[in-house]
Amino acid sequence: MHPISHPREAFPLAPEGGRTPYSSEQSSDANTRPWILRYAMLPDSQQAVALPPALYDEDRQISVGVDTDLLPYMQTHSPTIPDGNTTNPPPLDEGAKD
Amino acid sequence: MPTVLIIAARDDWPTDRVVKTLEERGATVFRMDAAEFPEEAGLSARIDDSHAWAGGVVTSHRALDLADVSACYFRAPNPFRFAEGMSDAERRFAAAQARAGFGGILTALDCRWVSHPSAMSRAEYKPYQLAAARECGLPIPPTLITNRADAVQAFAGDIPGPIICKPVASPVFIEGDQLKTVYTRVLTEDDLGDFTGIETTAHLFQAWVDKAYEVRLTMVGDRPFAAEVHSDTKAGYTDWRSDYKSLTYEPTKAPADVIEKVRALMRRLELRFGAFDFVVSPTGEWTFLEVNPCGQWDWIQHATGHPIAEGIADELLGVTE
Repeated sequence: MHPISHPREAFPLAPEGGRTPYSSEQSSDANTRPWILRYAMLPDSQQAVALPPALYDEDRQISVGVDTDLLPYMQTHSPTIPDGNTTNPPPLDEGAKD
Repeated sequence: MPTVLIIAARDDWPTDRVVKTLEERGATVFRMDAAEFPEEAGLSARIDDSHAWAGGVVTSHRALDLADVSACYFRAPNPFRFAEGMSDAERRFAAAQARAGFGGILTALDCRWVSHPSAMSRAEYKPYQLAAARECGLPIPPTLITNRADAVQAFAGDIPGPIICKPVASPVFIEGDQLKTVYTRVLTEDDLGDFTGIETTAHLFQAWVDKAYEVRLTMVGDRPFAAEVHSDTKAGYTDWRSDYKSLTYEPTKAPADVIEKVRALMRRLELRFGAFDFVVSPTGEWTFLEVNPCGQWDWIQHATGHPIAEGIADELLGVTE
């Protein structure tokens, strides 16, 4: 038997608006900004590896390369480095929660 | 025909490796993302006094009979996607119905899970992990979670060495159109002098554990795949996520007593997959930091040669060593 939990917890999905929801809002002042965020930084995008273009193949149920026979998963073995991309940031170790 | 159901984002390429491995072994795979429901996937299932949930999922490319599902691999799917014309209220209503209906049917499947979503969800909570790890006999760093400055000052006074802070949940967020992240920080005297804003939410503080190196221990079922993680920069030494280019990896073996306790923790958390982070001290003691129920593993496989995708396939197919 699995632990009883709220339905939101029982079937966790990435949050609405993507894994890391987009915001144009600027930070608030020190009194309302979480203390730890004073140490927030922009990740070093030079550490990220550019991902090759890919399409999802419905029949094979995997992504396939564009203009190459190499399958995307064979070309990238990089850890999930935040690359500064705000529209499609990579998933994180921490899972689906916010 | 026994089928492995995979619920994962389409662009999760490590999952591609699992799909390929399963198919090379002759398994039937049905892969979908939750985002395909309800617009691209149909669900119908019935239950009564005589029969358990029966029915299936149909997409434009394949059909799944729920009775055929022998195992399920659950890996960070995207949210349900609804018709463009819905109002916000309708979409929220529909999302709750989909979660309870679609998600409810799938999570009721009596099959091998890697791992069951509710167990994964619960295990993501660091305070819960730390309590469970401690009860399983794994050494953990003294830890404080608080929104009170006086509690941090008292904690810092009680700990003989430095203390660190790190987020309790995801370290990444977007503000001002920029993606930002918060890494583990060893606190200085200056840091401890100003706690403005600490009362705004929960913060996590831990004793800094002296380390020779860290270990990423990927557990698949009962099988351990351990990799030493070394860094030659200050940033990478403090938090290896902050300086990947400085890292080198070595396959290693965890001590037998650590493996035994980790297996106990996996059972307690009801996980069949876990990416564990340990600190190994200069004298060889292993200290548990955290476990990620949905942790990344592909780069560790590449760096060390550990057959993690194959291990996940074994687990899904019920193959034991």
